[in-house]
Amino acid sequence: MSFLPFIFANPLMLAALVALPAIWWLLRMTPPKPVVEVFPPLRILASVLKREETPSKSPWWLTLLRMLMAAAIIFAIADPVFNPRSNTLSGSGPLALVIDNSWATSPDWQRRVETADALISDAEEKDLPVAVVFTADQDHNAVPGSALTARNRLAAATPQPLRPDRETAVNALKTALDGTAPGTLAFLSDGIEAADGKVMTELAALSPGNFRLIEGGKDQAVAISNSANDSESMVVSATRLDTAGARTLPVTAYDTRGRAIANGSVAFAAGEGLAKATLAAPFELRNDFARVGIDGLATAGGTFLLDDGFRRRRVALLSGEARDQSQPLLSPLYYINRALAPYADLIQPNEADMAVSIPELLAQKPSMLIMADIGRLPEETYGPITKWIENGGTLVRFAGPRLAAAPADDPLVPVTLRQGERALGGALSWSEPQPLADYPALSPFAGMPRPEGILVKRQVLAEPTADLSARTWASLADGTPLVTTKTQGAGRIILFHVSAEATWSNLPISGDFVEMLRRSVQLSRSGGVASEGAAKGQTLAPYRLLNANGVLISETGKARPLELSAGTTPVSSAEHPPGLYGSEEGFTALNLLPHDAELKPINASGLSIPYTSEPLIGAEAWSMKPWLFAAALIMLLVDSAVVLFMGGAFARLRMPAAAAIVLALAAGALVATPGQSLADDSKPGDDIILRQLDKTHLAYVITGEADVDRLSERGLAGLTDFLTYRTTLEPGPPIGLDIASDELAFYSLIYWPVSANAPMPSPAAISRIDAYMRSGGTVLFDTRDQFSSLSSGSGTSPNSERLQAILADLDIPPLEPVPADNVLTKSFYLLSNFPGRYNGSPLWIEAQPDNGSQPTGRPARSGDGVSPIMITGNDFAGAWAIDSNGMPLLPTVPPDEQQRELAFRSGVNIMMYMLTGNYKADQVHIPALLERLGQ
Amino acid sequence: MAAIGQIVEPTPSGDVLSRAQSRARLIPDCMVEAKRIANTVISGWHGRRKRGIGENFWQFRPYSDGESLSRIDWRRSARDDHTYVRDREWEAAHTIWLWADLSPSMMYKSKFGSVSKESRALVLMLALAEILARSGERIGCPGVMEPVSARNAAERLATALMHTPLSGGLPQTAMIRGMSDLVLIGDFLDPADQIMARLGPLARRGLRGHVIEIADPAEESFPYAGRTEFTDPETGERLTAGRAEIVRDDYRRAYIARRDSLGENLRHLGWTFTPHRTDHLASEALVAVHMYLSGMPGRATHGGQL
Repeated sequence: MSFLPFIFANPLMLAALVALPAIWWLLRMTPPKPVVEVFPPLRILASVLKREETPSKSPWWLTLLRMLMAAAIIFAIADPVFNPRSNTLSGSGPLALVIDNSWATSPDWQRRVETADALISDAEEKDLPVAVVFTADQDHNAVPGSALTARNRLAAATPQPLRPDRETAVNALKTALDGTAPGTLAFLSDGIEAADGKVMTELAALSPGNFRLIEGGKDQAVAISNSANDSESMVVSATRLDTAGARTLPVTAYDTRGRAIANGSVAFAAGEGLAKATLAAPFELRNDFARVGIDGLATAGGTFLLDDGFRRRRVALLSGEARDQSQPLLSPLYYINRALAPYADLIQPNEADMAVSIPELLAQKPSMLIMADIGRLPEETYGPITKWIENGGTLVRFAGPRLAAAPADDPLVPVTLRQGERALGGALSWSEPQPLADYPALSPFAGMPRPEGILVKRQVLAEPTADLSARTWASLADGTPLVTTKTQGAGRIILFHVSAEATWSNLPISGDFVEMLRRSVQLSRSGGVASEGAAKGQTLAPYRLLNANGVLISETGKARPLELSAGTTPVSSAEHPPGLYGSEEGFTALNLLPHDAELKPINASGLSIPYTSEPLIGAEAWSMKPWLFAAALIMLLVDSAVVLFMGGAFARLRMPAAAAIVLALAAGALVATPGQSLADDSKPGDDIILRQLDKTHLAYVITGEADVDRLSERGLAGLTDFLTYRTTLEPGPPIGLDIASDELAFYSLIYWPVSANAPMPSPAAISRIDAYMRSGGTVLFDTRDQFSSLSSGSGTSPNSERLQAILADLDIPPLEPVPADNVLTKSFYLLSNFPGRYNGSPLWIEAQPDNGSQPTGRPARSGDGVSPIMITGNDFAGAWAIDSNGMPLLPTVPPDEQQRELAFRSGVNIMMYMLTGNYKADQVHIPALLERLGQ
Repeated sequence: MAAIGQIVEPTPSGDVLSRAQSRARLIPDCMVEAKRIANTVISGWHGRRKRGIGENFWQFRPYSDGESLSRIDWRRSARDDHTYVRDREWEAAHTIWLWADLSPSMMYKSKFGSVSKESRALVLMLALAEILARSGERIGCPGVMEPVSARNAAERLATALMHTPLSGGLPQTAMIRGMSDLVLIGDFLDPADQIMARLGPLARRGLRGHVIEIADPAEESFPYAGRTEFTDPETGERLTAGRAEIVRDDYRRAYIARRDSLGENLRHLGWTFTPHRTDHLASEALVAVHMYLSGMPGRATHGGQL
């Protein structure tokens, strides 16, 4: 049987070939002979009788086809096998099996097991003891035993996601054999040479009678050894064992959920064992890479894990500015956004109310929190932010008018700040705008070239302290710090002493700004930082481990925690199998191969004894069974088609085809005309909102004091009448607001008569007012006390004290009385002061930045945006209040009707200023514009 | 199992002589039979009123409701209180063309029928000729015999048939003129629309037609069962039914539907349609057709005719 490379696995089945003549006879069976009848109305009969002409004989070729089909099935069941293997074990000594169960064996592990099993069976036939040792297992038990034991151990062995430890294995074998020369030594190798390259020499030293090196296909041994980010793509280094021939393999990057998000391919040139793949993806996408794998190679080596070092940080942005949407170039967040968007995951609050938005941001565990020009935070948010910083968060603050005006006891600045800001250059200063000095050596910015062309015109100043220079990351040429820092707990506070938009300096529009921010972000902790709990240590427990197939599993088995020490790179071993160490929030990746490793074939040169190289079993012996079955199936299909054709099935296809077209058209018509249905997204209260949006309404705060509220209502009603009468603005009836619950966003101006007798609004209500002002609304506070204006300082009235209490928690900009060139004095009437029922109290509005560069002769200063706050003591509402007959309710003080007229005009100017903003400031230039246009 | 139907008179093409002889042999038989049947018809005839289309006065009779007002004789009616209609004597000799289809399919006879369809068709034709000749009508056969008015018209027709055998298919009718009656006897197994395409122009020329469809009982009841190969005697086409009994109902439905649609179409032309089966008495069809010819509405026969 062995002289032909061809045997039948089930030769008895060939006896079934005897049945072929019977099949032939059955196939020749024909239907009975019909009675022949003359039938004149045959045409009528033909119309009702299906044409069924069974030929009295099937054609000979059809019979032959069917006979061949039956024969093919019989031969397939008999299972002819080519190149069967034979037992060639040497009987001189025990069989020693050294089996690699490393990562590269996992694709063809089953065949390796079959090969080893066949060798063990051969040994069993010859009654030889068998010693099996697995190189990647931890216990190298090589004691020769029975074939049964060896088979059990073989069945229990699995490929490991490790590199083989052959030296220990060979030593164990040597010890176990104890000098006995093995009759046959078979080395089922994965084909990859270890670092020392001596395994064949050591095995040969055992002086086996028959030395075999059994290797599987090498094309599966491809591994990713490193990855690196460059500016446009991620470059993945790959190495392969089989260097013959050019080969291109697809490489895919997956995110943490296993979704493929980028593709590339690694192209090995012929003869080359190393290649690089480029995964081109935007930076934002590359930050989501969690794993890079070679498609179609399910091995631990073909998978490269990426850890948090690649993950971009989550950065929360917070601004005190109100004018974000309309004028982006003036918003500080705009520059930060543009600088950081490629490098970080930016989150912004949904709410303008900081008491709500800061906890919401911290709940998303940002690595970094950037506050641009925030002078004062709601009191209850200091605690969570401090805790968050101490847990490792990085707070970056930018200066600005609000921070400059903030009190000095802010715990969230790294240095003590002087009140106010320092202006460099300008009419009253000898100093010039300052460039930057070289970055200090200890600064993370060190190494960046000294920036040219950056000029700082304005900054906040730090109180000098002993360690100020050590905490300075960047300073101006005159030595004043520009960027200061302080570590607090595990975290850090960084302060840029300039604003984040281009008014104070041109730093935000320079490339250095991007680099400075990027380096700051990289300093921050990569994993999210929670505002609760404590910081973590440096011993990382196994979190997810790779198995030999390159799949991450949560079963950690015998893996031990990874201890990270500075300066050493952890290497995968049996104790630390490749995988992710840490926790879900932050982990370190440990990969199978060290960086830039190279796969090399087994070095078998210079051996003392000859060896034979063999492939795995099953590689050469192949069975014809599937081919025969396939042939039989094809013949069956042909036969079916022939039978259908002879039965006339294809001739009758036309009618059903027409019917099918009609059916398809009907179905298409049904599908094409689905009923349009729209979801009802109306909410309760929509009609009220729509009513309020129909018209502009004046609004006032209901203080809770009945006569004050009545006066506010009547006063705004009077102003509404006046506006309707004198201007094109025709507001609806005034609305009283409960600031704790009503929606404020519909009103451009809220009139708030401050009353010391009224209950103090809750912190939540004040926080809502803060959010309202921040999102573009204006509050007009009226203390109604002409006797003590806000500026007098001494002897403040109870109403003013109440106002101070209310404003204490608000983030308000610096204030100033309305300057003569402000647009408020010109927005409808020309006014020089703003009297109400009383005269004399100035109207305070947000101080406009004094650029100093503007010519003084201009009729109106152009400003951006609208002051979010106005404060007066003149009791506007008292002057505006009218009864239902239109007669004034209260006399003015002094009783002068001209003053009431001016009070109304003040109200008109304020409303116009509210509704038109700086448009009116531009209107004053119309004569000049028209003149320039030649009209 | 013996076949149910058979071809009675295989007519080998080209053997004109033997065909003529056999036809000659057949036709006297038919004559005897025809005379016998005609006598039964005539003997059952009581006092034939000879009114009809003619020039001369025949009688006045009272007007009955439903008759056309134009037929009222106002002059006679003015004489008394009754309204009279003037009947005229049926006098103009009427030409009646007889024709029988003797195509191969007519040679069929099953064991359920007493004679073959061809035989029944010839008998009916000659019997009609006998009756009508006694009434003085002119008898003709398209392509075989010019119309003659003679007592022995039936014998002359038989003689003419012996010399000029009828061929299959519908006759050449170009020589038929005027207000003639046409009696067509055959099995009319062609599709109804083909038949109507032939008959339609005849009807438009003013001919009155009387169609007698001769059918064998086996054709109508389809008594076949089991694996059967059917052969069309005209085209030689073959059709094998694996189990003939399962198509019986369908076949009957199609057969009756064909007959009904043919009858319906003919009635639309104003023609009469008389189905006849060879296991029935020939005189049934003869009486029905004769009554149609004499202007009377036919009795309800098994075809359900008006």
